[in-house]
Amino acid sequence: MKNKRIYLCDNSIDGIFTAIYLAWSSRYGHSNIKIEEKYEGSKFANIELFAEYIVVDTDYNLSKKVADSIKKKISEEAYEMVCRVALSYYEGKADLIYRFLILAFAVGPTITERLSNEIVNRMFRLDRNVGREAHHLLGFIRFSQHADGLLISVIRPKNDVLTLVTPHFADRLSQEKFIIYDENRKLASIHIPGRQWILAQLPKLEQEKLDEIWGIDDEYSNLWKIFFKSIAIKERTNPKLQRNNLPLRYRSYMTEFKI
Amino acid sequence: MVILETMSLQRKLEILSDAAKYDVACTSSGVDRKGNSLGMGNSVACGICHTFSADGRCISLLKVLYTNECIFDCKYCANRASNDIVRASFTPEELSELTMEFYRRNYIEGLFLSSGILISPNHTMELIIETVRRLRQLHHFNGYIHCKAIPGADPALIELLGWYTDRMSINLELPTAESLKQLAPHKNRKNILKPIRQVQIGKKLFTDYKGVTPYSDRPVMQAVNVLTDTAGLPDLTGMTDSVGMAISNGISDGRPEPIAASVNDNSYKDNDIKDIIRTGSSLAPYHNRPATKRSFVPAGQSTQMIVGATDESDYQIMAVAEALYRNFDLKRVFYSAFMNVNQDPRLPSTEDGPPLLREHRLYQADWLIRFYGFTINELLDERRQNFNLLLDPKCDWALSHLDRFPVEINRADYHTLLRVPGIGTISAQRIITARKSAALDFEDLKRLGVVLKRAVYFITCKGRMMYPVKLDEDFISRQLLAVKERLPFGIEKDLTYKQLSIFDDANFKLANHDLVGGFLITGS
Ligand code: SF4
Repeated sequence: MKNKRIYLCDNSIDGIFTAIYLAWSSRYGHSNIKIEEKYEGSKFANIELFAEYIVVDTDYNLSKKVADSIKKKISEEAYEMVCRVALSYYEGKADLIYRFLILAFAVGPTITERLSNEIVNRMFRLDRNVGREAHHLLGFIRFSQHADGLLISVIRPKNDVLTLVTPHFADRLSQEKFIIYDENRKLASIHIPGRQWILAQLPKLEQEKLDEIWGIDDEYSNLWKIFFKSIAIKERTNPKLQRNNLPLRYRSYMTEFKI
Repeated sequence: MVILETMSLQRKLEILSDAAKYDVACTSSGVDRKGNSLGMGNSVACGICHTFSADGRCISLLKVLYTNECIFDCKYCANRASNDIVRASFTPEELSELTMEFYRRNYIEGLFLSSGILISPNHTMELIIETVRRLRQLHHFNGYIHCKAIPGADPALIELLGWYTDRMSINLELPTAESLKQLAPHKNRKNILKPIRQVQIGKKLFTDYKGVTPYSDRPVMQAVNVLTDTAGLPDLTGMTDSVGMAISNGISDGRPEPIAASVNDNSYKDNDIKDIIRTGSSLAPYHNRPATKRSFVPAGQSTQMIVGATDESDYQIMAVAEALYRNFDLKRVFYSAFMNVNQDPRLPSTEDGPPLLREHRLYQADWLIRFYGFTINELLDERRQNFNLLLDPKCDWALSHLDRFPVEINRADYHTLLRVPGIGTISAQRIITARKSAALDFEDLKRLGVVLKRAVYFITCKGRMMYPVKLDEDFISRQLLAVKERLPFGIEKDLTYKQLSIFDDANFKLANHDLVGGFLITGS
């Protein structure tokens, strides 16, 4: 029996695709291979004793080859699904994507319909989880206004959804300068009118600085709180339903829940 | 009446959002529109919830009244002229700026503007139009706008409003003309249905037309004549007499004729359509269509009926709703459980809470009509005028049509699958797709999102039922009642003995004491 071979890759779609390309072309046998995405801090937590580790350097050319063949041989839909799953917070997604692709290249475009298959079903559920969070955030993101009309929003999403939500705001607020800051990943998307929006890695911000950015109140944020309060039907107060629809974790950066 | 001359914007917002809080039509779905490089805003067809208020309802739009002043005196309304309350009005400037600033900060998807009637219907409509005109033309606002049209306003103003809004609604308020006369003495059914018809016709006419030609070059209104002459809308034949009467009475205020006929009816055409055709109102300060490239009421129109203020049955209410969908192309009909906000002794008391469960059943039936291919006559009839409060309308229907079951999951067509309790539109679609690659079994159905606890009595997989069950109405109803139905939060509480007594009126056929008792324990 061969030793298990583990490809350790960056936690990004390109990192995962690069690893898949290398794993596949190694002809080492799918069942002897595992792909793991790297997480900050937890790198060697589950190290397997008798496995051979290969650290993968992300290579955009290889990644693109994988992307192209998914689109060509499977489907655009499957490609999008894989991309969203790659943004999931689920640990082990790299190997799941690998297993999914093994299956998908064999089955072809109809793979996304095979919901009764265990692997496809798990992909489907993660995809939905990422999609849902992104959709929630389209509504739950709050901007506060700063000097010069700059709009700043701070979020702490479970999944890495910044790239999914920013296009919506770039379209909607095309004339505005805005920043959406993902505090969990120290990642920000920045939009300036007339230009393509960009992603930037930011250094960790001090809590104080964050509060300062976030804590700005103006006439309209106060009016919003007034509206939020008076639109509720007091006799039907229902915190359980409210919590069900709007989980507590979103509220820490929503204007109307700030005291 | 209390009028405060210098009222702060905070106070106005507080009063005018409080006054709008019972309005239900707060959805922003229906149009997909990209942003543009000039202004601000886009629109997403699936709708976006921005937050949830303390009562758990979605907030998507800035939902306010323009004013809570009102010259009318509808008995069910807190703003009625005879109430002594603090009154407030926005100005078009205030409200348009408020909308923009809320939108920029991503608090809202847009504006939902309703209003009391200040001075006159036309005067109020002009203020509303000025507000949305500022939004669209001054601020280049490209987000969602839903406006209530004021019944009795000039047709030219109705049309103008239609060029600025995404959705328009004109509330029917009550299911029959009779009730309307009783509770809203200043309104009449014709003044409500006329603008609904006008918007319907306008939408057909302007499908590909964007509002760029001046109002005076309208090719439009001759076409209205053509349309009214040839509008072969289905009538309500087949409707039982009393309900048919109820609806037709609504339209012609006493003369018994079906809705569809009202357009072809000469007197209606001569007097009322002429009103619609009449060129720009002398009261209207705007004679031009907006010069922006917008289409006419792109998200269509909706309406609202109050349930439980008057004694119409579910059958009557749903028959009206069905006619509105079929004959007036409405996008949505909303049902609003009556709340006696004025504690008016002439109206039913709602001390034990509004009839929310009944409202919920109506929404379920509405859903069945819009997406599941049911007609109201399949669900209710002359002898059974109200829905079973214990079971959802689909289960209830299936139970009385056991001869059509069980259906084979691997063969039944989409429409047949849709009629199985526990299978929804999404799971039906998934079944159709998934069974192409392999014959499905009960295990697979669970993964596809089928609620097996309900569906098992009505389906076979590869020719087998999951358990050997007898297709017996009593037995299955008992099983179905034991499955706890997921009701919207807040409704469970309302299941009290008081409401259970309604079942007697509703011909409640499962009058089995054990069952009712058992349900009460799980349901309350
Ligand atoms: S017209 Fe409207 S605001 Fe005025 S009393 Fe009637 S329902 Fe209320």
